[in-house]
Amino acid sequence: MALLELKDVTKVYAEEGRSITVLDRVSFDVEEERFVCLVGPSGCGKSTLLRMIAGLDQPTSGRILYEGRPVAGVDPHIAVVFQSFALFPWLTVTQNVELGLESRGVDPTTRRRFADKYIDQVGLDGFEEAYPRELSGGMKQRVGIARALAVEPRLLCMDEPFSALDALTAQNLREEVLSLWEDPNLKVSSIIMVTHGIEEAVFMADRIVAFSARPGRVISTVPVDLPRPRNRKDEAFLRLTDQVYSLIV
Amino acid sequence: MRRARGQALASARRQLMRLVWFLLLAGALYFIYRRPAVIFRGGPPGVPSDARAIPYYASLSLARMTAAYVLSLLFSIVYGYTAWANRPAGRFLLPLLDVLQSVPVLGFFPAAVFFFVGLFHGGRLGLELAAVFLIFTSQAWNITFGVYESLTTIPRDLDEAARAFGVGPGLRFSRLLLPAMVPKLVYNSMLSWAGGWYFLIACEIISLGPVNFSLPGLGSYLINTAQDGRLGLTMLGLAALVALIIALDLLLWRPLGVWASRFKYELTASGPAPTSRVLTMWRKWPVARWTMVAGVAVWSALRRVVRAVLTPPRRGLAAAEKVADRRWPGLLARLGSFAARLVGWFIVAGLGYLVIRSVIALGRLLLQPMPPEARLIPAALAASFLRLSLAYLISLAWTVPAAYFIATNERAYQVLMPVFEVLASVPATALFPVIVFIIAGRAGGMNVAAVLLALTGMQWYLLFNLVSGVRSIPADLEEAARAYGLKGRLYLTRVVLPAIFPSLVTGSITAWGGGWNALIIAEYVVYRGRTFTAFGIGSLLDQATYTSGNLQMIWLSLISMVLLIVTLNRAFWRPLYDLAARRFKIEY
Ligand SMILES: Nc1ncnc2c1ncn2[C@@H]1O[C@H](COP(=O)(O)OP(=O)(O)OP(=O)(O)O)[C@@H](O)[C@H]1O
Ligand SMILES: [Mg+2]
Repeated sequence: MALLELKDVTKVYAEEGRSITVLDRVSFDVEEERFVCLVGPSGCGKSTLLRMIAGLDQPTSGRILYEGRPVAGVDPHIAVVFQSFALFPWLTVTQNVELGLESRGVDPTTRRRFADKYIDQVGLDGFEEAYPRELSGGMKQRVGIARALAVEPRLLCMDEPFSALDALTAQNLREEVLSLWEDPNLKVSSIIMVTHGIEEAVFMADRIVAFSARPGRVISTVPVDLPRPRNRKDEAFLRLTDQVYSLIV
Repeated sequence: MRRARGQALASARRQLMRLVWFLLLAGALYFIYRRPAVIFRGGPPGVPSDARAIPYYASLSLARMTAAYVLSLLFSIVYGYTAWANRPAGRFLLPLLDVLQSVPVLGFFPAAVFFFVGLFHGGRLGLELAAVFLIFTSQAWNITFGVYESLTTIPRDLDEAARAFGVGPGLRFSRLLLPAMVPKLVYNSMLSWAGGWYFLIACEIISLGPVNFSLPGLGSYLINTAQDGRLGLTMLGLAALVALIIALDLLLWRPLGVWASRFKYELTASGPAPTSRVLTMWRKWPVARWTMVAGVAVWSALRRVVRAVLTPPRRGLAAAEKVADRRWPGLLARLGSFAARLVGWFIVAGLGYLVIRSVIALGRLLLQPMPPEARLIPAALAASFLRLSLAYLISLAWTVPAAYFIATNERAYQVLMPVFEVLASVPATALFPVIVFIIAGRAGGMNVAAVLLALTGMQWYLLFNLVSGVRSIPADLEEAARAYGLKGRLYLTRVVLPAIFPSLVTGSITAWGGGWNALIIAEYVVYRGRTFTAFGIGSLLDQATYTSGNLQMIWLSLISMVLLIVTLNRAFWRPLYDLAARRFKIEY
């Protein structure tokens, strides 16, 4: 059984009397231990899909199954990383990271231990008591990732997590996310990541799901079998990138 | 060379601005130390209390409101922009605005009446101007703060983007600054407009009651009919007032609000944009279209005239400068800067003289042996403060949960907001005649009435600020909170309360300002020739103004009241406000 199954997921927004179909019968599976990237033109509904997977919104029709059960509301095994970081400005790094645990009623000492562990993991040692506005963009997203990891999810949803960062920071963070994901001690099984960058998708994913322009439909799912760590200059890498490009454009 | 000339011109313009400020200040100072000689015009004012007169009165009241609002709008944009764009000026203008906002405007009404009526030799125009001025002072500060705040919250990269594209000052203003102001401008205008009714009615009531002038309008109609015991007519007047307010709300403010919400700068798409049937109607209705077209035409014609008037001299000046420069290079610029300096020194000297004289005059006044009532001032301040605290606590107790409920529940928002907006725009002062009619003469009644009236002057500021605070929680933060399962108390303490903290502080500051104002009419009531008071600084001030005419007491009460308010603001609210800006402001 796949970790996540999407069956004919359709989303329609009603706006000013008109109804807009954003996603049209989207179906694909995410197996365990996979890194899946969603790519597609702007406005095709990738974020909407991710939000529905995370239980923040419901499909108009179709089903989303997590471990065979329909996703109904927020699932404790699914965590989200936001493009805009979505850190609470009035909470310190530690408090932000502890948030998910706190809402599960985890006691303060355990919470603190978990937070420290994952703040360490993302390399933010020494910034525990800092407020978000004192951090650079890359550091903010590290907090976002630590916050997601701290609830020890099985499925991690990331919506363009690196697109607000500079190229160098983004590349560093990409590699760190990959090594975190490959870390056998971490509970994260699969990652779904929305991205604009096809190169980024080819660099990170096991599988790329390509969407058409609105209404978003799955054009094709492309397996990426390149060995890790991947080299962007590699011939096979470039060929695959071109192939995905031609699918979308 | 051109630079030098430009500088000379700029400095000349600055001198001109200084001159204007100087004249304003001089006027204010003149008004401060000129003794109010005169002038209660005795006798019953001839305001007929007839139901048929209601439309006439309503139109008079509305005209006063409109005049005051237009003034406030112009003032707010100029003042707010200056405070934001000119940092040194801002350092002085903002605290001044703070003080102005905390000054209980109503306390100055009698003084304003003396001043304006004196200016116009007892004519009706003077009284009208006094009322307009008073309403203006009740509206302007709030809108000004709105302008300033929205300017400060313009994302820096947006402003820099504008500058990077070489957008000139005019275009920058119309494309960036003005649109950024619009949401707060409209929102605060709604609040101010509602507040304006409050003071308008108060003016009309005071003028008829203690001051005894006739300022025909709905307010004077209400108090007149209530005094005659013809409550039926009072109710009819009230209904007319409410109808007028609702009509304006539906036809003007609501569509404006919808229109303004298009200007909100948001980082994340958050649901469908609000719509308004009336706005659509306005757009489609030919008369509205033609009005708009005509308005634009008049506006551009005006601009052209102003430009035409201003340009030739400037062109002539430039030509003259060219000639002069050829003969005596740099002379003009030097001359200009010399003249500017001269004017500057002259102004400083004159200002210094005036300040010193008025301080001496005021000092002399205050140094006279204290009147025995002066000993009551601390106790009166305490009594008023307690009354306000009580009203504030009651307001808090109901507005926080109500605001949260309204803001998070779309249906409740759609249904309840209009109701509250209408309720809030019914000026509490208009209910005053009725309240007074009911409780007049009952023991302790005045205390209850005073707290009630203070409450109605405070609660709406809190409610609306809080609602907009809750609604401005960014969608992605809310989403994050949901994604991490935050619920109940935790959601409240981690997300909602911190997020609304800034608006709670702003709302509280405004509410207290409104409360102090309300006290001035709430603690002292003249009803059918009898005076009812609740002991407090407001009644002390009113007594000094209307009965004893003791200038020393008037100033002592006013100064001690302003001092207390400013101290409270500086020592208590300011730190909270800074904390809110530092820690709780949401920015990316
Ligand atoms: N709450 C909503 N109500 C109405 N329409 C919405 C809502 N949320 C999103 N949409 C619309 O759905 C479409 C898809 O939005 P979505 O954010 O999912 O696109 P996206 O693929 O993530 O785009 P991008 O790559 O630019 O982030 C857009 O056209 C958007 O306008
Ligand atoms: Mg998106």
